[in-house]
Amino acid sequence: MTVPNGLRITALAAASCLALTACISGDDQGTDAEGGDDTIRIGISLPLTGDFAEPGKGVQQGYEAWAAYTNENGGLLGRDVELTILDDQSNADRVAADYERLINEDGVDLVFGPFSTRLVIPAAQVAQDYGFLFVEPAGAAPEVFSQGFDNLFYAAPAVADDHYNHLADAIEAMPAAERPQTAAYAAMDDPFAMGTAYGLKARLEAMGVTTVADEVYPPNTTDFSSIAATIASSDADIMVGGSQYQDAVNLILALQQLDYQPRMAAFSTAPTNPEFPEAIGEKTEGILSPTGYTPEADYPSNQEFVEFYTEEYGTAPGEDQANAWTTGQVVAAAVEAVGCADPEPDCQQQLIDWLHENEVETVVGPLSWDADGRPEGAHLIQQYVDGQIRIVLPEDAAEAELIVEKPAW
Amino acid sequence: MSLFVQSLVLGVLLGGLYALLAAGLTLYFGVMRVVMIAHSAFLILAAYLAWVFTRETGLDPLLSMVGTVPLFFVVGVAIQRLLMARLRPATLTMMSVLLTFSIALVIEGMLGWLFTGTQRRVRLPYGGADFEAAGANVAVVKLIAFVLAALSLLALYLLLTRTRFGQALRATIQHPEAARLVGIDTDRTAGYGFGIGLATAAIGGTALALDSTIYPSLHWHWIGPLMAIIVVGGLGSIPGAAIAAMILGIGQALLQIPLNTTWAQTIFYVALFVTLMVRPQGFFGGRLAQRF
Amino acid sequence: MPSASDRTRGSGLTTALKIVGILALAAAVLSFPSFAANPFILSVGVVIMSYAVLATGWNFVGGFTGYMSLGHAAYSGLGGYATALLIIESGINPWLALVLGALLTAVIAVPVGIASLRVRGASFVIVSIAFVLILQLVFQSWGEFTGGSNGLRVPRPFGPDVLRPEQHERFFYLHAAVLAIALLTWWLIDRSRFGIGLKAIREDEDKAQALGIPTFNYKLVAFVVSAFFTAVGGGLYALWFGFLDPIFQFSILIGSYMVLMSLLGGIRSLFGPMLGALVVGYSVEFFKNEYGDTQFHLVATGLLLGLVVLFMPDGVLPALAALLRRFRPQESSIREVTQAELAEQRNSDPITQGAKR
Repeated sequence: MTVPNGLRITALAAASCLALTACISGDDQGTDAEGGDDTIRIGISLPLTGDFAEPGKGVQQGYEAWAAYTNENGGLLGRDVELTILDDQSNADRVAADYERLINEDGVDLVFGPFSTRLVIPAAQVAQDYGFLFVEPAGAAPEVFSQGFDNLFYAAPAVADDHYNHLADAIEAMPAAERPQTAAYAAMDDPFAMGTAYGLKARLEAMGVTTVADEVYPPNTTDFSSIAATIASSDADIMVGGSQYQDAVNLILALQQLDYQPRMAAFSTAPTNPEFPEAIGEKTEGILSPTGYTPEADYPSNQEFVEFYTEEYGTAPGEDQANAWTTGQVVAAAVEAVGCADPEPDCQQQLIDWLHENEVETVVGPLSWDADGRPEGAHLIQQYVDGQIRIVLPEDAAEAELIVEKPAW
Repeated sequence: MSLFVQSLVLGVLLGGLYALLAAGLTLYFGVMRVVMIAHSAFLILAAYLAWVFTRETGLDPLLSMVGTVPLFFVVGVAIQRLLMARLRPATLTMMSVLLTFSIALVIEGMLGWLFTGTQRRVRLPYGGADFEAAGANVAVVKLIAFVLAALSLLALYLLLTRTRFGQALRATIQHPEAARLVGIDTDRTAGYGFGIGLATAAIGGTALALDSTIYPSLHWHWIGPLMAIIVVGGLGSIPGAAIAAMILGIGQALLQIPLNTTWAQTIFYVALFVTLMVRPQGFFGGRLAQRF
Repeated sequence: MPSASDRTRGSGLTTALKIVGILALAAAVLSFPSFAANPFILSVGVVIMSYAVLATGWNFVGGFTGYMSLGHAAYSGLGGYATALLIIESGINPWLALVLGALLTAVIAVPVGIASLRVRGASFVIVSIAFVLILQLVFQSWGEFTGGSNGLRVPRPFGPDVLRPEQHERFFYLHAAVLAIALLTWWLIDRSRFGIGLKAIREDEDKAQALGIPTFNYKLVAFVVSAFFTAVGGGLYALWFGFLDPIFQFSILIGSYMVLMSLLGGIRSLFGPMLGALVVGYSVEFFKNEYGDTQFHLVATGLLLGLVVLFMPDGVLPALAALLRRFRPQESSIREVTQAELAEQRNSDPITQGAKR
């Protein structure tokens, strides 16, 4: 029974193998139509589904707004830009395959980066192998910059470790007696989230603040009661959360359930989300958060960005949108300065070299990079003051006074 | 000390929910020798239904059980009668695993498709409320979830021990052939057993929605511990599952004091491996578990 | 299971045809890189070959013993991490690391196999899933050793002068070579006494035990061999892809793809899992192309798996092959059935088949 069967299966396998080869190559000729010389094609892979889908959409809006704005204002080098956006399903295998495809099959002229540190490294590898410039809007973790990518640039003011720098400076400036004495840290096991919390931890420990709790939780944790119990029993003066969004909400609710009242509380990312106040029951007063962007900033291009974006989408842009727009601005500056935008290694190398040597004016301020692509700046610190999220640090950019003693939540 | 008491309280509250869910899982195994991988997917589905219910009506998510519990019972009976009963008895265990696994994937995919992968949480006015008892803070939502689980377990226990249907169900679990000989319609009983199992997922899911974030792939984080619990408790033994759930739930909460969250979760898997090495039939299981 | 009559009937002609068929298959596989229009197509080819290696590896336990492991991603992930960590920590030759890593994984599989195979199926499945979940937790938490959630970059086995397209080509051939070795091993086991014992376990474990087959030892050996080949597949993929992340390495979805591919192609046949890999790998690419932006791939995987389990537990391709066979003239002449009988058979067959299942 198996002899003829096996034979048939072998034949079937051989036939389908050939058919497949013919099929995908044929398929290729259909889609391989080059965009022509009148447009600059930009390839992007974003997590539109899966775990990073929500911020992924923000980045997509930012990119699309930038492309629309650029085309309305004469394009790049006089040519229109056209975005090709693929969905990587928040999966590292897919993100690499996507860039492979954008570069080889779709024949794009430039690539922009994806979202999230976890996806940036595999994607940057592909771009590096084909000699492409790789400017990315998200991927602030220190690991991104220690991989030896010379084509990578992070289009935001600061790497994760430096997000809290202004807050650390402010605490250091306090008289020693008024400083918090003990600190509790809880960070999501994610390169970005941990980077922010541990950046501040290093600074606080250096000025003598004792660490009394240090918890790391996996990204998919939903039950924060035990972590909250540990933190509450440590009764730390300052609570630092390296968080994304929902984890911070859960942690704060769990801390409220245990009636823990820190003197200062700082969480990354979550408090800047517009849904945050409602999610934690409006008890936001005094919560701190670093941010890389504010629509109110008076950098030259920012006003145009906010106006254009608000007109397109009906709301002011957030940090994800701003970082995507910044990516566009950075690449555009290099393209205009060098005067080329094609996939040839020569042109890409010139773009890379130019960015290493120059400063670019963006909506998040002037950006320049070190040899590994780290931006050299710090994040603004925001705080909920009278129910509104306001910039409180550094002082020259402050919109409101820093609340040192956080009211009860 | 207070951290210890606090963790103990949290462990008991968590263990109650585990116990209810593991009881459902072990019920399927008892009546049909089926490892129901989709149990926790239905749990998450029920939590999503509670979330949608609250979002749309603004009413308390607990009220959603009025609809989800009967619905899940019917779905459970349907799964048993229409899908499980079609499988060949010789390969039932393996094929039922694959089948329920595929159901889990479909549920996860549909949830992701409809509601995206974003984490959701029911917003409750009493979400952050707590009271103090015996030196520990007890969150109101956790207590409600625990009471719900305990009442359901009690109801399940009474159903199994005090009713004719319960007797038939236990007979079907212990010896299907003999049960058939004394005139029990084992097929129908198995169907109802499946329905009841799934109904526990509806209750558990609602309880979960009170105090937890939900997202489509969350069910994998529940199915692992739950499967470990039913093996440790002895496959098919409902009291065994409940006891193991309570012990492991408390163990997890207490282990989080010296270890971090991630390592504390491994207690379930360590217990699973130790059980299979030392006592493969489980610590509270009877004769049934030995062959599986 | 080729019986004696099969063999005599097949004789020289069938053997020759078989050899021609295998040669044609090999030629088709080996010529793929020259047909591939660009490096992207080639990289898709590498992924499909990797799937084929993993599915064939899975089939050593799934196909021979009928024990369905849903967590074989544990072994591909371990193979990948073991290879990467051996290179990084001890600096040995990457290919040596690949083999050592796979051996190490096989050693780890021994206690897992002992724990899960002592009792029947249910515990095996539970442990298979639990093992992936525990490894995901451990590799995520144990940051200093595994790189944790930051991921782990795997050093390239080829120098920087080997450009990416050429890497794809080399890895395509490497995967093909591993696949050939795995298939050969499967074929050898299939024809051995050991293989017959394993298949007896699949059909009826109690009877097999009664016949004096050391069922536990047999199952364990098959399981460890399976873990070894899956680990080689995982290690090779890690060397090619160059980046490991616990969430994606120890993923339930990868494990379920292995099951789906094998079931689709037919777990009882040598080339089944490979064919399944071709179908699944190609359709994943195709659906991504057509419907990219939804979570629907999970639903499709689930539905497909459910349908196969319910209606074609022996595999879709074997079912199709059986259907095809009825239309072959020489088949009917061997059986000496009349046209009328054949027609009747054709009509009644689907019904009897349905009833059997």
